[in-house]
Amino acid sequence: MGEGIGEGGPLVRGTMGIVIILALLLASLPIIMTYSTLVMTSFANTIVSSPWVKFRFTLENWRLFLEGKLAPTAGIVYTPEDILRFILNTGIVAGGVTLVVLAASVTSAYAFSRMNFFMRSGMMKLLILLHAFPGVALIVGVYAIYVFLNNYIPRDYSIYYSFIFVIIARASLEIPMAIWILKGFFDRVPWELEWATIVDGGSRLTALRTAVLPLVKPGIAAVAIFAFLAGWEDLIYVLVFLPPQEKTLATYIESQLGSGSLETTYLPVVAAAGTLYLIPTIIFFVVTQRLLLETMSGGLKG
Amino acid sequence: MARRGRQALFFLLPMLILVVAFYILPLVLTAWISFTPLTNWRVRDQLVDFVGLENYVNLYYLARYDPDFHKVLQTTLVFVVLTLFINVVGGLVLAILTYLIDERISLGYRLLWLLPRMTPLAVFGLLWYYFFYGGPQGTLNSFFLKMGIIDEPMRWGTDPAMLPYSAWAIIVFVNGLVGVSYGMIIFYSAFKNIPRELIIAARVDGAKTWEVIRHILVPIVRWHIVFVTVWQLLSLITSYTHLFVLVQWSVVDKWYGTTLALYVFNTAFFDVKNQGFAAAAAVILVIIGSILGLLTLRIMRFSQMISPPRGDI
Repeated sequence: MGEGIGEGGPLVRGTMGIVIILALLLASLPIIMTYSTLVMTSFANTIVSSPWVKFRFTLENWRLFLEGKLAPTAGIVYTPEDILRFILNTGIVAGGVTLVVLAASVTSAYAFSRMNFFMRSGMMKLLILLHAFPGVALIVGVYAIYVFLNNYIPRDYSIYYSFIFVIIARASLEIPMAIWILKGFFDRVPWELEWATIVDGGSRLTALRTAVLPLVKPGIAAVAIFAFLAGWEDLIYVLVFLPPQEKTLATYIESQLGSGSLETTYLPVVAAAGTLYLIPTIIFFVVTQRLLLETMSGGLKG
Repeated sequence: MARRGRQALFFLLPMLILVVAFYILPLVLTAWISFTPLTNWRVRDQLVDFVGLENYVNLYYLARYDPDFHKVLQTTLVFVVLTLFINVVGGLVLAILTYLIDERISLGYRLLWLLPRMTPLAVFGLLWYYFFYGGPQGTLNSFFLKMGIIDEPMRWGTDPAMLPYSAWAIIVFVNGLVGVSYGMIIFYSAFKNIPRELIIAARVDGAKTWEVIRHILVPIVRWHIVFVTVWQLLSLITSYTHLFVLVQWSVVDKWYGTTLALYVFNTAFFDVKNQGFAAAAAVILVIIGSILGLLTLRIMRFSQMISPPRGDI
């Protein structure tokens, strides 16, 4: 029965409400269990795969990981890896992707929101199609361009070329959605604000910069966060485009579990790497909860 | 008019450059490569050799006679159909349940289910690597050993005795966990637009929870269901990254874990490095993808959604 359903309260109460909450908990168990296995294992001397596994709490994995001693079972015949470099590389790619996405999407989203031009609605449809485009067909062509241009890059600059290319190529995948999300934010800003600036003799660019941008900060933050996480999480592009010695956290984990590496892999240390790698995602998640959910539904719907 | 056009062009230029360089040009190149014998990325020598339709003919023969490629095609079909079902129905169930309960608890669950989508690919793969690990420490083995269902640890995704079903179950399950949040978010935000009075009135009239779901919630999102189905279909046919990790780390069998999209990727970059052939398969994917994409735009009645710009001077 519907007794006690007031404004703002849950639509289902009593036993039924509890049943639903428990059913959701049961369905969520695999998610909860796998994530806690990862985090617990990083602080344990074995894989903490189930509640009854006996383990000893230790920070040894984190020490080994941060010192780059990634395969302790391999003994003395091996050199530590530069983990800070891997973390830095991951950050460079993520930061680079963020900058490129913002640079290419802010002015375009403004134009789509405020100007009428040839093929405007056609271009907006095209962006939606591109967002869903078979990425695997693109990456073959993009890599062909990469190899072709690489012939003209002096060997000394080759590593910069790889990084810049991977950043721009990865950022391009995020641009269609970024423009749609930002356009939604621009659409909500009253046009009269810019009009005042333009009447006073300012250009469109001045109007955008002084009157509009301050009001769409949440949108820019949302797009920046999505772009950062996209660059941060990328495995495929980094694996394909960067030379094997320039690892990110993703390709480091991949190299530990990929074929032929299992002989020396020590899984608790990999868990420390995975946990560290997950931290920025979790932070953004906790800080931006509602913005994240709202932007996702807004962005996804167009 | 010319001045206005130039102004718009100026604002759009960064986006246009990237779209041309990283979507349109690569697409043309991929189509081009599909008519060349390109292998090992010998772009300079082989990009102007033409072999006509040879790659497409090879694809046809592989589809007819190659047992491994048959596994790939079967896996693609099973993977797309089952994961699509999970994503749409699971997303709808999650949206309904989280809509009905207390807002704070609901927010927690929705965030929890969004977590797999936001988790870095390598970490998400790692989670399932531990879960399906073939030794006694693997989560699934550990549970089943404890309960006495199995006597010794199983290699879940690769044991020939359980193929192909175990590998299919794993890829569908792992991808489903990422995929359901899409439907959940779309359906949930549609529910949020329903006036609360409508549901409260139905409850006061004595409607049971099940009747509210059946007669109010589901009918309201019927167009959303069609949209999510087509969009997810498109995305499942073309996605390969999660499968790449599962196959690369031997969580699942190589062929029963490989769909056509992953086959294209591995053929171009890892296995035989035959880009001409991979490109031909990619072109087939693009054709399927474009048809589905255009279909989605139709379903969304997209032209009506694009509002005219404000402030055009």
